[in-house]
Amino acid sequence: MRSRRQFSLRNLAIRAAAALLLAGTVSAPARAGGTLRVGMTAADIPLSWGQPDQGFEGFRFMGLMLYDGLINWDMSSADKASGLIPGLAESWSVNEADKTKWTFKLRKGVKFHDGSDFDADAVLWNFDRLFDKDAPQYSARMASLVNFRIPSVVYDPATNAKGWKKIDSHTVEFTTKSPDSFFPYQICYILLSSPAQFDAVGGDWNKFSQNPSGTGPWKLTQIVPRERAEFVPFKEHWDETRQPQLDKVVTIPIPDPNARTAALLSGQVDWIEAPAPDAIPRLEERGMVISSNLYPHVWSWHLSRVEGSPWNDIRVRKAANLAIDRDGIVSLLGGYAVKASGHVSPADPWYGTPSFELRYDPDAARALLAEAGFGPDNPVQVKMMISASGSGQMLPLPMNEYMQQNLKEVGIEVEFEVMEWQSLLDRWRAGAKAEQAQGANGINVSYTTQDPYSSFTRFLRCDLHAPSGVNWGYHCDEEIDALLAKASLAFTAEERNEWLAKVHTSEVDKALFLWVVHDVAPRAMTKQVKGFIQARNWFQSLTPVTMD
Amino acid sequence: MLNYIIRRILYVIPIGFGVTVLVFALVHMAPGDPLSAVVPPDAPEEMVQELRKAYGFDKPLPVQYATWLGRVLVGDLGVSVARGREVVDELRIAVPNTFILAAGGTLLGFTLGATLGGIAGFFQGRWIDKLATSIAITGVSVPHYWLGLVLVIIFSVEMNVLPSFGMGPGGSTAWEWNAEHMRHLVLPIITLAVIPMGLITRTVRATVAEILNQEFVQALHAKGLFQRQVLAHIVRNAAPTTLAVMGLQLGYLLGGSILVETVFQWPGTGSLLNSAIFERDLPLLQGTILVLAMFFVLLNLFVDILQSAIDPRMSRQ
Amino acid sequence: MTTAPALDSKQQAAIDAAQVAVQSRGYWTTVGGRIRDDKVTLVCGFVLLLIVLSAVFSDLIALADPYKANMLKRLAAIGADGYPLGADEMGRDMLTRLLYGGRLSLFMGISPIVIAFAIGGTLGLVAGFLGGRINMAIMRVMDVFYAFPSVLLAVAISGALGAGIGNAIVSLTLVFIPPITRVTESVTTQVRSLDYVEAARASGARSLTIIRVHILSNVLGPVFIYATSLISVSIILASGLSFLGLGTEPPEPEWGLMLNTLRQSIYVNPWVAALPGAMIFFTSLTFNLLSDGLRSAMDVRL
Repeated sequence: MRSRRQFSLRNLAIRAAAALLLAGTVSAPARAGGTLRVGMTAADIPLSWGQPDQGFEGFRFMGLMLYDGLINWDMSSADKASGLIPGLAESWSVNEADKTKWTFKLRKGVKFHDGSDFDADAVLWNFDRLFDKDAPQYSARMASLVNFRIPSVVYDPATNAKGWKKIDSHTVEFTTKSPDSFFPYQICYILLSSPAQFDAVGGDWNKFSQNPSGTGPWKLTQIVPRERAEFVPFKEHWDETRQPQLDKVVTIPIPDPNARTAALLSGQVDWIEAPAPDAIPRLEERGMVISSNLYPHVWSWHLSRVEGSPWNDIRVRKAANLAIDRDGIVSLLGGYAVKASGHVSPADPWYGTPSFELRYDPDAARALLAEAGFGPDNPVQVKMMISASGSGQMLPLPMNEYMQQNLKEVGIEVEFEVMEWQSLLDRWRAGAKAEQAQGANGINVSYTTQDPYSSFTRFLRCDLHAPSGVNWGYHCDEEIDALLAKASLAFTAEERNEWLAKVHTSEVDKALFLWVVHDVAPRAMTKQVKGFIQARNWFQSLTPVTMD
Repeated sequence: MLNYIIRRILYVIPIGFGVTVLVFALVHMAPGDPLSAVVPPDAPEEMVQELRKAYGFDKPLPVQYATWLGRVLVGDLGVSVARGREVVDELRIAVPNTFILAAGGTLLGFTLGATLGGIAGFFQGRWIDKLATSIAITGVSVPHYWLGLVLVIIFSVEMNVLPSFGMGPGGSTAWEWNAEHMRHLVLPIITLAVIPMGLITRTVRATVAEILNQEFVQALHAKGLFQRQVLAHIVRNAAPTTLAVMGLQLGYLLGGSILVETVFQWPGTGSLLNSAIFERDLPLLQGTILVLAMFFVLLNLFVDILQSAIDPRMSRQ
Repeated sequence: MTTAPALDSKQQAAIDAAQVAVQSRGYWTTVGGRIRDDKVTLVCGFVLLLIVLSAVFSDLIALADPYKANMLKRLAAIGADGYPLGADEMGRDMLTRLLYGGRLSLFMGISPIVIAFAIGGTLGLVAGFLGGRINMAIMRVMDVFYAFPSVLLAVAISGALGAGIGNAIVSLTLVFIPPITRVTESVTTQVRSLDYVEAARASGARSLTIIRVHILSNVLGPVFIYATSLISVSIILASGLSFLGLGTEPPEPEWGLMLNTLRQSIYVNPWVAALPGAMIFFTSLTFNLLSDGLRSAMDVRL
């Protein structure tokens, strides 16, 4: 392939000096065709042993590259909401007689990177790794990263009763605590590591991390802590449509947004995640391509429903939703956001038919507040907990300030408690009644709406308040609880979507949140990067990407 | 003098012990859960409890301290909670990187400072002296993290001639002696050099001025024997103090590089501290602080001994 | 013995001055006279006064509200209409915020020195006057603190306590107590051993009287001047902590924090981002020049 080095006198001199110093090893950035270098937002390479850390970015640039789930996300289209597709399981079905039992038919002939076979035993082994403390492969750290995402599966630490069972060499049966149609969405977070490789490295997960083995389309060839991870295609991957086109992918952690911009502009990387919105015009000016697409994310204010909170009055909630100039916020974000008209976007199968429209109508907002007994002399007073930065928070301070101005115009006075991202998450877990909440009436944490549980259930179900869940505001509504129960008992996709749409319709009509925008995940790349399809998903696939 | 040196070395033991107590107390008096940054936000409390047990954070503090100290004595600083790697391994990567920065900064600062200070001392009271003294006082007054930012704005943002962050291409964390790495070193080293430059300029200027005012130097001068002997005399007299200032500056830059490392995203101990603080990674935090403090203690010891060897009058008490 | 670094020139100057001051009554008059003749010091004093006054009376001088955001004016350039020094990432007027920023930056820089002067001065007096085991105990604890380079100690304490103005002040106070204690102890020990203080002791004067009359009057002046020479470092460190995200929290105007948040915009409006640091620099520079002036006025060899 053609060399892309620029030959200038200065470069030549530098290279000559380097060659002298290194006795021939040229270390100038080798931009050989077929290597993609990605600047991630994480501060370190995500854990490579199976279940990644670093949130969904860890899944994106480590977990789903090296591993497959039994069920995968469909990342092949940019035009429709991304759904579930068969992964290491060819098919799955719920037992008609006993809806707590699920049968998963495993794909045959699948090999791990180390050459060992994938089968039912490997599945059981991987679940034991997360639950069974007596198993040699049990890892408390790995369990802490993912077990909360699969709450339905049966496991009893007292009796070691497990909800996973081998039927034959390529069939596994799972048992859930109660009938739960969301189970497939939970299963797709469990990534399968190679038991043979674990034995080969002497049963040490840290060693496994250096030489990991999964079934995914990429193999890890090198990992340098805090510096880089290198991946090459796994030629024997079972899915021919996901055979990588590149020769190599290098991921580099660059947590500082400025440094990512600088790295892209200076040619140290070819692709950066989440460029700062302010820097996007500069990047475009310098010939970079900005890729973006809607994905399941919502930026909202989560409202407290504790006694005494002004948000208990639906008129106040609606007024707040009508007071926000969402177009203004989108332009504040350089256009890289989509106005929210609910918890999920209208393009989502769960959107439904809400009648409450999230338009910008300050007069209607003032009228609603007047009706609720508030007025210019008697403004609504609320206290919000917000962060100065944080993953998925976009530009939290400017956005919140903007909303503060909007709300003030209709008669809602907002006071902010600004804190670090980590303390905000701590308080989010603790719930609105906790002492740490210090009487705040709302919290600004952006949410994923990737699957039904994380979109709806965890915020809306009455029993999921602290410490059992993140229903931060102690919201409780019998109608919604009933709809959620129906949805979790609907075992066909159509039926389930119908119930979830009803949940969402009710949620919007009751204005349970103050919804603002959906992120569109801008990423910037050089013109040489071709073929990337930005799926409507938190996860993305690098397999179709090429460099020219 | 030997007696002094031995006592001085022995005194490091109680100080080292005090340092471990202080470091441990500091790190553990922090409010908040040491695992909060590691566990995903919606993980349930029982999972957190279990992890706490696995890391030994459930034990009483004195027990935790004793366990930690026992391990530290055999060179085991524990395992980073967030990253799951040995703290010693993390430091093995970070310490040399910070050392390159600190040593480079000290050397550049020394070269500039000795030159400026020498010139200023020789031309006392003239405009060139005033210029050098102004540069020196600017050097000690400048917030170096701001200077770094200004350099980045000039050389990276506006002129685009030098890299603005990192230690080498592709997020390199291991130093190599090649042009690309050198280019990354330029701005951070200039930034770090300003404070030692200012201090050394002042020290050297004062010493040179003092010696030139001595009667016998004036006499030598009269005899036309100025240059070589006077220079030798100056070097001999200025060496102990300058050495002490340099040694200390090296120590300050090693321990205090966090600000500059943050500006330039340099993969050294400062960046390690930064991420340990914000991820509340206690083993990494206490390991890094301990190692940096012990470096400083040993460096002080070394400077003291060297000074007393050069100039026996300096053996205090 | 001590593991602490050798006394630096500022510390030595304070100790020398104390000795001379005890012996010659006219010393402080001489010092005052010298300062009156030193134009640079006088000018610096004046500039500093301006900085302090403009921070204290920022609500009278400033034209805008330091918290009032205007999203349409985000990162307006220097000289933009109505924004003489541009606007920050929230569209707040930079000039206003720089003026207000002085309040917190100066407060966070100076108050640790004041508190450390009170605590360190007392500890040093006690150690120096009583000597013996108490001296030993106090000074050895200080040695442990001396084992940390100042930035590391400040960052470690603030990192442990968490962000916040109060925590930053606590951590900086702890950084400055050891050097002040040490200087006070040296000065006190030397003054105590001077002949006429010994004579007062022998004539049966009570300890407290000796401390009050002889030591306090002669020790505090030089130590105070030494403490003021630490202010510029303290201001740089205080803003540095905010710069790292360990000091002031948004949306408060404070130079270090402003530098930190505007750092994200260097690709959009680089020179607005550099302004808060320039304020830190000028303040620290004037403090340094002033303390240099004071020190050379105190220099006993002239």
